[in-house]
Amino acid sequence: MNDLPEQKETNLSFEKIKKDILRPMQNHKGLELWIAFLLTVLSVCAWAYYVQLRDGLGVTGMRDYVSWGLYIANFVFFVAVSLVGMLISSILGLLRIDWITPISRIAEIIAVAFVAVAGLVIVMDMGRPDRVINVMIHGRFQSPILWDVTVITTYLTISLLLLILPMIPDLAICKKELKKTSPILKKVYNILSFGYINTPSQHKHLHKMIRTLMILIVPVGLAIHTVTSWLFASTLRNGWDTTILGPYFVAGAFVAGAAALIVGMYFFRVNYKLQDYITDLHFDKMGKLMVAVCLVYLYFNLNEFLVPGYKMKTGDDIHLKELFTGHWAIMFWSSQLLGNIIPIILLVTKKFRKPLPIMIISLFILAGAWVKRYVIVIPTLLHPHLPIQNVPENFVNYSPSAIEISVTVFSFALALLIITVLAKIFPVVPICETADNKGIKYKIEA
Amino acid sequence: MKNTIKIIASLFLLFVFTASVAKGQDWNVPASAKNKQNPYEASTKNISSGKKIYNINCKSCHGDAGMGNMLPLQPVAPSDLGSQAFLIQGDGEIYYKINKGQGAMPTFEKTLSDEDKWMVITYLRSFDKNKKESKQVAEVVNPEVSDVNLVLDINNEEKKINANLSGVTEKGDRVALQGIELSIKVKRSFGYLDISGDDAYTNEKGNVTIQFPADLPGDREGHVNLLVKVTDDAYYGEVSVDRISSIGLPTDPVNPLDERAMWGTRANAPIWIILSYVGGVISIWGVIFLVLFQLIQLPKMAKNKE
Ligand code: HEC
Repeated sequence: MNDLPEQKETNLSFEKIKKDILRPMQNHKGLELWIAFLLTVLSVCAWAYYVQLRDGLGVTGMRDYVSWGLYIANFVFFVAVSLVGMLISSILGLLRIDWITPISRIAEIIAVAFVAVAGLVIVMDMGRPDRVINVMIHGRFQSPILWDVTVITTYLTISLLLLILPMIPDLAICKKELKKTSPILKKVYNILSFGYINTPSQHKHLHKMIRTLMILIVPVGLAIHTVTSWLFASTLRNGWDTTILGPYFVAGAFVAGAAALIVGMYFFRVNYKLQDYITDLHFDKMGKLMVAVCLVYLYFNLNEFLVPGYKMKTGDDIHLKELFTGHWAIMFWSSQLLGNIIPIILLVTKKFRKPLPIMIISLFILAGAWVKRYVIVIPTLLHPHLPIQNVPENFVNYSPSAIEISVTVFSFALALLIITVLAKIFPVVPICETADNKGIKYKIEA
Repeated sequence: MKNTIKIIASLFLLFVFTASVAKGQDWNVPASAKNKQNPYEASTKNISSGKKIYNINCKSCHGDAGMGNMLPLQPVAPSDLGSQAFLIQGDGEIYYKINKGQGAMPTFEKTLSDEDKWMVITYLRSFDKNKKESKQVAEVVNPEVSDVNLVLDINNEEKKINANLSGVTEKGDRVALQGIELSIKVKRSFGYLDISGDDAYTNEKGNVTIQFPADLPGDREGHVNLLVKVTDDAYYGEVSVDRISSIGLPTDPVNPLDERAMWGTRANAPIWIILSYVGGVISIWGVIFLVLFQLIQLPKMAKNKE
C-alpha cells in the first residue's frame, strides 16, 4: 500500500458523492441499446432452449458416455464466480478491510446474478424440467444433489439479503432524491428502505443483522462449492475420485470470482464514470488479492495433478495422459498457463495492476477458469472404468451441439442482464458507507 | 523406378501369401512330441469326463465329434475331430496341436490342465475304429421307446437325489433306459451350478443317484431350484424336470437395501446424515428468518430516536 502514490484528496462532500453515484441511475446513454442487444440474444437462445424442450436432450451432444456436458461445466463455472460475494463482502468484510467498501456491492450483484443463473442452468440441463421438484420430494439425504439444490437456494437468499441490507440507507436516499423515476421503482425504494432514517438504534440494529449474515454466508458459501465438488468427488471416476476436490473447487472459485469482479469494476468505473470511487488503488489491491488466490489455486493444482501423475495408477493414467499430452492438452495447459501461472507472474509487477491491464488479464483468467471446468467435467466421463462395448462413434467423443452452445450463451446473457438491471436500479457504489469511511457526516431525512 | 517398386511389392505380397498358406497347412510337430503317449486308460469315466471338457471348450468350433458339423472358419476350417482321417494321428501329435494352437485354433497350453487334455484325447479316441487298443465305450443299446419320462425322487434327510429315466416300448412296456448321461443342476443367482459329478450315467435300472452337496445354501427355508435333464438332446429331444426342494442349507440372506446406509433409499438414510441435513437447514434458515424478522422491525425504530 505504501508503494502507491497517496490517493489524491478529492474534496468529496456528501452531496457530490450522492450526485456522482446516482447520476448513472438517472440517465445513462447507450443502456437501452445494450439491454436491447441482450434481449435479442436471449430470445434467439430461448428458441434453442425451446427446441431442446420440445425434442429432448437428444438435440445436445450428450450421449451415454458424456451425460454431463457443457451445461454442467458451465454450471460449475457460474457457481464458482458467485463465490466472489462471500470472498469480498464477508471474508474481507469480517476482517474489517475497508478498501473493499466501494466494490463490495458490485461483488454482491455479481454473486446474486451468477448463483441465480447457476440454479437455472441445472434446470436447463434437465430433459424434463417439470420434474425438478421431485428432487425435493424424493431426494435422498445421501445424495449430493439434494444438498446442492438446498445450498444453492440458501446461498441465493443470503446473497440477496447481503445485497439489500447494506443498501437500505442508500435506498432511503434514492427514495428521496430520485423523484423522476417510474412509480414502480419508487415503490421498490419505498419498501426496501424500510423507513430508514439512520437513527442510532436503526444503525446499530442494521449493522448487527449484516454482521450476522456475513458470518452465516461463510459456511454456506464454502458449502455451495464443496457440495458442488462432491457431485463429482463422491463417484469413483478417474480425475474426480480425489479427496481435495472440495477445497480445490473453493480455491478455483476465488480465482474466477475475483477475476469477474475486476472485470465488473472496470466496466462500471468507465461507463459510470466512477474513477473517484473505484480508484487505481482498488485495482492494485485486487491485483494483489488475485496473486494470493492464484497461488493457493496453483498449490492445489500441483497436488491435484503432480501426485496422481507421479503414481500413474491404472485408470488414472489414461485420463492424465489425455490431459497432459493427449486430446485435452491444449485446453488443459492453456487454462493452467493463461488462467493461472502467467497472471501470477504478470500481476506481481505493479504496472500490470493498473485498471486496463488487470482487466484484460482477468478476462484471460475467466476464460481459463471456464475451460478448466470443461476439462474437469468431460474428459473423465470419456474414460469410464467399465467401458460400454460396441458403442456408436458419437458416444465416445463429445462435442457440444449448436443448441447446447446457444443455451449456454443464454445463461451468460441472462447473468449480464440481471447485473445490468440491478446496476441500473440500485446504486453500484454504497453512498452512505463511502461517506462513513471518509468520515463525512450526513443525514437521511424521512 | 516405378516398375521396380511394383515388382518388389508383388514379390513381397507373394512371399507373405505363400508364407501364410504354408503356415495354414503345416503344423510342424516335432518328432519328440509325437512320441508322447496318453497315460490315462480309456475307461467309461475318463471318456465321459473328456466329453464334458470337449463340449465346453471345443464343440463351439469343432462341432459334434464324428458328425462333421464344424464351424466353417476362414481360411482354414477346424477339422472333425471324430473323423477317421483325423484320428490316424498319434496321441502325442494331437496333444501337441491342442497345446500350441494355430491360426484360429487357440492354444490350450495354459487354459486346460494336462489331465483335461488327455481326457479329451481319450474321448476322441473312442471314435477311432482302427485302433486295436482303443476301447469303445460299451455301447448300450436301448430299445426304441416313446413317452420318455424322467422321475425325481428326493430324500431330504440324506440329501440324496435319485433320477429315473424310462420309456415306453412299442409293445407298451415301460422300460428303464440305460447308459444315458443326465445333468443335475441347481439354480444360483447367475445361472445353474452343475452338481452331476463325473459319472451321471443311468444304470441298468435307469437310475442316477447323487449326493446333494451339504454346504450348498438355499433360501430361508433351504429351498433350492433343481433342474435335471438328459444331457444330450440328440437321444430323446429335450427331457427335463425341475423341482423346488428344501435340501439346501437354510440361510438368512441380507438385503443390503434393508439397512440404513449411504446407498439405501431415502427412508433408509443413515440417521446422522438426516440429522446433519435437517439440522443444517433448520439452523441456517432459522437465522435467515430471524434476520428477516428483525428487518421488519426497522421501520418502527425510526420513531424512537434516542
Ligand atoms: C475358436 C475355434 C476353435 C476352438 C474353440 C478349438 N479349435 Fe481346434 N482348431 C480350430 C481351427 C480353425 C483349426 C484348424 C487350424 C489350422 O489347421 O490351421 C483347429 C485345429 C485343431 C486340431 C488339428 C486338426 C488337424 O487336422 O490336425 C486339433 C487337434 C484341435 N483343433 C483340437 C482342438 C481341441 C481339443 C479343442 C478344445 C480343447 C479345440 N481344438 C478348440 C479351431 C478351434
